[in-house]
Amino acid sequence: MAPAASPTISELPKLPRRDDAARAHLQEVGRATRPVSLAHERVLELGSSLGSLVPRGSVARGAVVRVAGVSGAGVTSLGLELAAACTRAGEWVAAVDPAGSLGALAAREAGVVLERFAVVRRVPPARWASVVAALLDGVTLVLADLPPEGVGVADGRRLVARARERETVLVVGDRWPADAALTLRARAAEWVGRGEVHHLTERRLLVHAEAPAGAREGWLARAV
Amino acid sequence: MREPARTAALRCPDWPVTAARRRDPSLVGVPVAVVDRGQLGLRVVAASAEARAEGVASGLRRREAEARCAGLVVLDADEAGDARAFEEVARAVERHVPRLVLHEPGALSFATRGPSRYFGGDDALAALVVDTVARLGVTDVTVGIAAGVFAADLAASRAADLAASRAVDLVASRAVVVPPGETVAFLAEWPVSVLAGAVDASHEQGDGGALTDLFARLGLRTLGDVAALPESAVAARFGSPGLLAHRLARGEPGHEPVAREVPPELVETMELDPPATRVDEAAFAAKALADRLLGRLDAMGCCCTRVVVEAETEHGERLTRCWRHEGALTPSTLVARVRWQLEAWLVASDAGVAAPGATVDDAADAEMATGGLTVLRLAPDDVIPATGRQLGFWGGDPAAADRAGRALARVQALLGPDAVATALPVGGRTPIERVRWVPWGDARDETPDPAPWPGAVPGPAPARVFDPPVPAALLDARGEPVTVSGRGETSAPPVALECPALPGGGGPLVAWAGPWAHDLRWWSQRRRRVLWQVVVDARETQVACLVAVERGRAAVEALYD
Repeated sequence: MAPAASPTISELPKLPRRDDAARAHLQEVGRATRPVSLAHERVLELGSSLGSLVPRGSVARGAVVRVAGVSGAGVTSLGLELAAACTRAGEWVAAVDPAGSLGALAAREAGVVLERFAVVRRVPPARWASVVAALLDGVTLVLADLPPEGVGVADGRRLVARARERETVLVVGDRWPADAALTLRARAAEWVGRGEVHHLTERRLLVHAEAPAGAREGWLARAV
Repeated sequence: MREPARTAALRCPDWPVTAARRRDPSLVGVPVAVVDRGQLGLRVVAASAEARAEGVASGLRRREAEARCAGLVVLDADEAGDARAFEEVARAVERHVPRLVLHEPGALSFATRGPSRYFGGDDALAALVVDTVARLGVTDVTVGIAAGVFAADLAASRAADLAASRAVDLVASRAVVVPPGETVAFLAEWPVSVLAGAVDASHEQGDGGALTDLFARLGLRTLGDVAALPESAVAARFGSPGLLAHRLARGEPGHEPVAREVPPELVETMELDPPATRVDEAAFAAKALADRLLGRLDAMGCCCTRVVVEAETEHGERLTRCWRHEGALTPSTLVARVRWQLEAWLVASDAGVAAPGATVDDAADAEMATGGLTVLRLAPDDVIPATGRQLGFWGGDPAAADRAGRALARVQALLGPDAVATALPVGGRTPIERVRWVPWGDARDETPDPAPWPGAVPGPAPARVFDPPVPAALLDARGEPVTVSGRGETSAPPVALECPALPGGGGPLVAWAGPWAHDLRWWSQRRRRVLWQVVVDARETQVACLVAVERGRAAVEALYD
């Protein structure tokens, strides 16, 4: 090859940055797929949209995340966002779904890899705590819907301790009796692109994130 | 050419069935199949001759096996029990032959050089072993003698074929001895598919079947064809699994041993104080030993295919048994083998002492523990370089999958096998129809993404799907329920939705889309279902949901939560 034809290293920054969107996408993929279990940072990286609302853009492994809000405002979708961040990194997620109503297609659209997303459906309330405890041993994130009767304070504290010990993220619902390191509150959903002749296309979620380091509120948009 | 040491392989085909019949004599003469839950669900792993005659084969689903053979007795696999029963066979053979190597319950091998000279040749030795085992009531035993374990194994299965084709079953005919120097010729006529198991076991990807398939499609139908290829060409084209297949096809050992003499620091020893008398106590200690041993080997970049399990008892007895595994021993396979062996020693000793007339000397002769175990020792016997494990490029970690599998299996034990499921997208029109839940452990028959069905509800998928749907009321401007005519025309545009599943019990609609009309089961009882996507104003937020109207009744099918 003729030496004149190849740009030298010093010339590289001068090259046109032709595709900013592609670069940003590449950086996000790199962030989501890099090894998440470095010895000094045991965290679970969230994607760019939810990560912008959370301190440091990540959830510490072993933390409990409370997802709150009225049903219909995007509570389930927030949980699925967390699960997607986990399976994208090659890890395993289990969901406990006492009502048996979790929509698997929505999970896939959120980015969850369904092969690594096991759902425990229709759990009897008496077994709920032991099932969640067993799952905390084996997977990286447990998405646990509370049973309609709620959970006892003692059970809650025991699960918090177990999650911390096993370094598993536990995502729970509104009526969680113990403490949580991060609370995500789905405030409101707003649908766009709807109309009498069309169908639902896109939605924005108003999410309020509350952590000891501070609270932040913002809109999450996803072309769903 | 290096010919491996001459080896005898003893096989008891369908040992789980034989062991079950020894435990429960009422099963003799009855078609029996043993099933085990593997990656592909509940499959047959062993079947009795009566069941095989009716078409039951290994790998069949349980239900399929039951359909083929009426009156089939289906048993769950009990590997520990099989190993315990096989210990009796191992003990009987050991009276004539030292240094047995156990592979799994129902299979063992040993080097024949010394015993053959002592008993006057390979044929005499094989006949003696067959006779010894047949005296225990195991009549379908076969023995093969050839150079190397792989060839000996094939010789044993040839013996089984011959015995099956002969009308009169002579004890002497249950052995096939390949004369020295003829092993390569003996191997050459076998089809390549016999390589699949060996390649599978020593490569984690488990692609033995794919490799032999490829060989067959390339025109390499027998081991002789494979052996005729130049080694460098095989290595370049098929990588390390191909190389292993090539070595086996040429009658060479599957791998080069690094060290004949295992360095003494690799032997892991643990003193048990107080002595372990129960299997679970001893097995617990063995697990720690196995982890330490494999960790040490791992750090040296080695793995082992054979391990010697050694125990000493309170009465000073020393028990030894060698176990081998095709491919490298992993923590789970090693712990399982050690556990089987401990069970065989400890449980058999209980039975032996209870038997009338049994003395401590008898027990020592028969190699079993008369007291608790005081020392447990694991010594790697055949150390080879670890070929390594390729982790998934995108951070997929097989260990994480193992861990998750164990946790999910525990939940299945708590709630039943159907409680844990993964979702599989399938074709359909509504969100309920478009997902099939596959119980954990069953095969996910992954199909390429189904094309969208005509009439399917477009847009994003709802995150909450109610099965059965929650009854609701879809009202028009006059407060009447919205109905649909036989032609799919709506009586009036919907204005409000009331449903207990919505926050605040529902409210006025902000917008709606649809309707999508479906004819259901038009071939039997014609039903018409109409779906709407509606957005309800619930004061602080908007709630989108999917409403179905069928026979004048409305119900919320899904919530876009």
